[in-house]
Amino acid sequence: MRVATDIGGTFTDLVYVNEKGLVEIAKDHTTPPKFEKGVINVIDKNIPNKEDISTFIHGTTVIINALTERKGAKTGLITTRGFRDILEIARGNRPDLFNIRYKKPEPFIERYLRREVDERLNYKGEELTALNTDQIREIIDYFKKEKVEAVAVAYLHSYVNPSHEKETVQIIKKLWPEVAVSASHEVTQEWREYERTNTVALNAYVKPAAANYVNKMQSELTEFNQTSQNFIMQSNGGTTTFEESKKVPINMVESGPVAGIYGAAVLGNLIGEKNLIAFDIGGTTAKCSLIENGEVKVSTDYYIERNDRNAGYPIKAPVVDIVEIGNGGGSIAWLDDAGSLKVGPQSSGALPGPVSYGQGGTEPTTTDANLLTGRLSAKNFDYDVDLDLVKNVIQDKIASHFGISAEEAALGIIQIANSNMLNALKLISIRKGHNPQDFTLVAFGGGGSMHAPALAKELGVKKVIIPIASPVFSAWGMLMSDLRHDYIKTYIARVGELKIGELMKQWNEIELDGRSQFAQEEIEEKDVVFHRFADMRYIGQEHTVKVPVPSGEWTEKQLGDVVEKFHELHEKNFTFRLDGTETEIVNLHVTAFGKVEKPVIRKIERHTTLEEAKIETRNVFFDEPVGWVETDVYQRELLPVHEPVQGPAIIEEKAAATVIYDGQILMVDDYGNLIIETGAN
Amino acid sequence: MRNEKEINPFTLEVVKDSLLAAGDEMFIALAKTSMSPIIYEVLDYASGLTDSKGQLLTQGNGVTGFIGMLTFMVKQTLKKYGHKGQLKPGDIIIINDPYGGGGSHLSDVGLVMPIFHEGELIAFSANKAHWTEVGGKDPGSFTNDSVDIFQEGLQFPSVKLYDGGVLNEGIVEIIRANVRFPDLSLGDMWAQVAALKTGERRLKEICYKHGKDTVLAAIDYQLDHGETISRKELQKLPKGTFTANGFVETDGIGNGPFPIQVEVTITDEKFVCDFRGSSPQVPGSVNCSFTGLASAVRTIFLAITNPDQDVNDGVFRPLEIIVDERSIMSAERPAPTSNYYETMLGCADLIWKSLAPHIPHRLAAAHLLSVCAVTLSGVHQDTKEPFLIVEPSVGGWGGADGQDGASAQFCILDGETYNVPVEVAETRYGVMLDEYSLRMDGTGAGEYIGGKGVIRSYRAMTDNQSATVTFGRNQYRLWGTNGGLDGSVNEFYIQKANGEKDGPFGVYPRYPLAKGDVLQLMTATGGGYGNPLKRPAEQVAKDVKNEYYTVDEAKALFGVKVDPKSMEYEELAIRQHVGGQKNEN
Repeated sequence: MRVATDIGGTFTDLVYVNEKGLVEIAKDHTTPPKFEKGVINVIDKNIPNKEDISTFIHGTTVIINALTERKGAKTGLITTRGFRDILEIARGNRPDLFNIRYKKPEPFIERYLRREVDERLNYKGEELTALNTDQIREIIDYFKKEKVEAVAVAYLHSYVNPSHEKETVQIIKKLWPEVAVSASHEVTQEWREYERTNTVALNAYVKPAAANYVNKMQSELTEFNQTSQNFIMQSNGGTTTFEESKKVPINMVESGPVAGIYGAAVLGNLIGEKNLIAFDIGGTTAKCSLIENGEVKVSTDYYIERNDRNAGYPIKAPVVDIVEIGNGGGSIAWLDDAGSLKVGPQSSGALPGPVSYGQGGTEPTTTDANLLTGRLSAKNFDYDVDLDLVKNVIQDKIASHFGISAEEAALGIIQIANSNMLNALKLISIRKGHNPQDFTLVAFGGGGSMHAPALAKELGVKKVIIPIASPVFSAWGMLMSDLRHDYIKTYIARVGELKIGELMKQWNEIELDGRSQFAQEEIEEKDVVFHRFADMRYIGQEHTVKVPVPSGEWTEKQLGDVVEKFHELHEKNFTFRLDGTETEIVNLHVTAFGKVEKPVIRKIERHTTLEEAKIETRNVFFDEPVGWVETDVYQRELLPVHEPVQGPAIIEEKAAATVIYDGQILMVDDYGNLIIETGAN
Repeated sequence: MRNEKEINPFTLEVVKDSLLAAGDEMFIALAKTSMSPIIYEVLDYASGLTDSKGQLLTQGNGVTGFIGMLTFMVKQTLKKYGHKGQLKPGDIIIINDPYGGGGSHLSDVGLVMPIFHEGELIAFSANKAHWTEVGGKDPGSFTNDSVDIFQEGLQFPSVKLYDGGVLNEGIVEIIRANVRFPDLSLGDMWAQVAALKTGERRLKEICYKHGKDTVLAAIDYQLDHGETISRKELQKLPKGTFTANGFVETDGIGNGPFPIQVEVTITDEKFVCDFRGSSPQVPGSVNCSFTGLASAVRTIFLAITNPDQDVNDGVFRPLEIIVDERSIMSAERPAPTSNYYETMLGCADLIWKSLAPHIPHRLAAAHLLSVCAVTLSGVHQDTKEPFLIVEPSVGGWGGADGQDGASAQFCILDGETYNVPVEVAETRYGVMLDEYSLRMDGTGAGEYIGGKGVIRSYRAMTDNQSATVTFGRNQYRLWGTNGGLDGSVNEFYIQKANGEKDGPFGVYPRYPLAKGDVLQLMTATGGGYGNPLKRPAEQVAKDVKNEYYTVDEAKALFGVKVDPKSMEYEELAIRQHVGGQKNEN
């Protein structure tokens, strides 16, 4: 039996495939700070034959929590002479342009714990000054005295030649075996010393916490099952073994959220949809990501705590490209100083939550607006809703300012929330040169199904899928995942001067690394698949375009094709191409999959009628034209397969609702997914 | 035409958001396709949309210094081509004339595109970017010892680069023939053109979707919204007249310092900045046009009123600027303007300094007060190709009520500006860096200390390199406030391979470097805020442990005796005389 668990802020989700081959889902409370307890609880309560678990896959927030709550280890940094302040100088940028009291992000490692050694390479990786090993010993003594728990090592140009970093790590491991140590080249092999140093600093910072957590999880699991293979979700949309995950734990920084994106790709594959927009609306944020030709896009342009006011901290780990905005069910609607309506990014959170939760929330939220307009039903709600209170709050805080009814104001809240989400969806599609008409929207998370049909129509997307297990779709994605590692190495070469033999050597070395890593994870050679990409640009440019490139040996022919492909992609992304301008490779990126056996998703059998599925007819407040409309409401689990439902209609399921508009048609497919024709032209 | 009142207020909000999103998109498109580090690393450019009269609707900014300059470009375009029939779909106008719509220096090349819908001019898409090269007497074009505008490069006096969608090949050929790195300059120009077209496309999409009338109503709504927020903030400010004096230190060719002054009058209705009585325009290149001055004042006005808001022309309606003609901050042709930004900074600093004691929740003590521009040219040791570094430098920001100053940040006129990584610099340019670290000079003490400047040391890897350095604030130390001590100054030295040391200098054109010579750039520590004796002793001990201040400085400046071994500390008697106020830190 294959089992996946995903830890969220409030709930820990469980998804597994039962003996009949059907997907089962369950939820239980998240149990901070002992998160592993919640995982065991949800398994205990729902899976009787725990010894039958063959594969256990896990998504965790332990890394991101340790970072955002600053609860990692006391960390020291060893770096090249002259550069101890790299972390504090950072890049000098100030996103909050007009703020004279800008607060620069504080380094995770204080200055007295950042120590320099004599050593130097030039940009070609040639040694100019040998590593002074005596100084390393002195630093180790100093760090011991200061009770340092983790050490990061980052030297200039180590992405070209890691020998000094390797030597340093060896000395530390020998003299101080109990400390957690991490060198920059083990974590990222890209240039830019601040980004690489910060990445290794954060990796070291979370390393002890990660090891502690993974070990505890392992021992809890072993109590009832000694044979299961255990994997952890990484940020690149693939898994790794418990053992490997402890080496570069920073790769787990987005462990949970990316699994839903990956799940969308798997689902698309199952039903023959290759071009998808994955869209996940939770309590505080909405996330979206574009999947082209079945491929989840992964890059290392990832930051934590970065926004339009704050420079944040770069992490050069491979993370699925996600655009995230502060707009979820709990986002607060408010009026700015000039009386304009805004929604988010402030959220009511889990506590007190929206007004409708009845836990003391006093600010109107998107969820409250959805309730007041009849999109959500008070009857299908986890809390006892005082609808009059919800109405009064929206009336007082929003409607009275505009002199309109509470329902109209609620519709305004939904309209503004949709506008925010639409801009995020455009950012990953139209603005990257993609035509939304060529894509299908896969919507999940608690609020995805409620907003997606309207948004898809605006965006010009013709079809929306609300997948099976949509409220716990990240866990479903984990269930279907393969092992995956991304190797990204800076290798700067002008295509005109490129020696194909040397490039092949680079590709082969990277793929050899991949094979040996998978060997350690006990994946057979035949199950290993590589995909190659080159990050390319025109000479003189800085930003690159990721170009899929052929596997195997290349000739001039392949190289020519690669350059042509780059021109095409550049034009697609940025509207123009510069034929005849020299191109340059900057990074080599190899994606390595270790394929594992996955559950087969069975077609469902259901002998019901629409009439049986119908719960009620209730009034729902719609726009265009504005007013109450009598709307049929159905139970998702009882909807017959392939039977069209005409909008307007609402489909309810546990923890979510789907709203379709006039002119839209919904149907259940063979697997139980809801397929909606949006009516977009 | 529909009345604004009849349009759903939420639809207006949605259209406004769409306009802002279009502005952001234009901005990102330009950075991603640019050929020049000054654009993609320094983000020394701006892009945005204006209404049909040239009022700014949305501006994506990499740097604050360009705030408002797009407006003046569009207004100049309207002045020249605004008569009927002269602007048509597909036109793109090129402008860099500092006195005629450009506003900064020749290196900043602006493009303006009118946007039509259903035959009516509804808006403009505009951008402005620092080209690595526009010709002139020195590599990199902007220089610190020019004596007139003609030495500073090619002038584009608001002419059509595209006429009805047809490219004027002649202009392209003239650029190619007159600049030192034509691929970079033209590459940037194509990137700018592409970004403008993106803006045009998005605005038309918004018009198709919501209808022209709704969009025009949303534009008015947006400008009024900006004005409303601005006026509300104005009401919260202290009322009265505030003054400050200062200097622009040098014009780069031996003259100066030049006195400048401001009288700021704040009423419930207006924010008036009167610069009359300041120095007339000067022989060297620090002259700033009125447009540049307007941007400086707008920058500090935003910092004082509300740094969070979306910026449009409505926000600046309460603002009024008074200045003498042909002054150092309202210069006219043919005054050289290469280093206009140093005077811009001086003007922003005057307002900042006059109000700092009165608005401590928004302002701080002085920051590095110079772009600290560095131009370094030569030949790469391995590729034998010529290279050109053009970069601003990071330095210290001032301490403020409740917080220490930020270390190693670009000046207020920069913004989402990035320093060049050491690994990138050593690969691309014929240099190695001996050091890039915080500079500890014992200055900027306060209850809240000034942020640290940096030391960045370039070692030349080939002979015949040339460094042009413009470190504007080199004589007058950065002011502290509310009892905080002054910071330091920006300066540089040359450590020669033969053991000689030259310097310190502030502004220096074309200093020759031989192989092995080291250009040691040192930027200033920001001013302190509040009496240093009130800094918590525990914090001072921590500063010593982190080597921000020495044991001696801790004792002399902060009245705290710290044991260098154990880091234990003891408060000296002098601290008892500072009013016994408890620090809440």
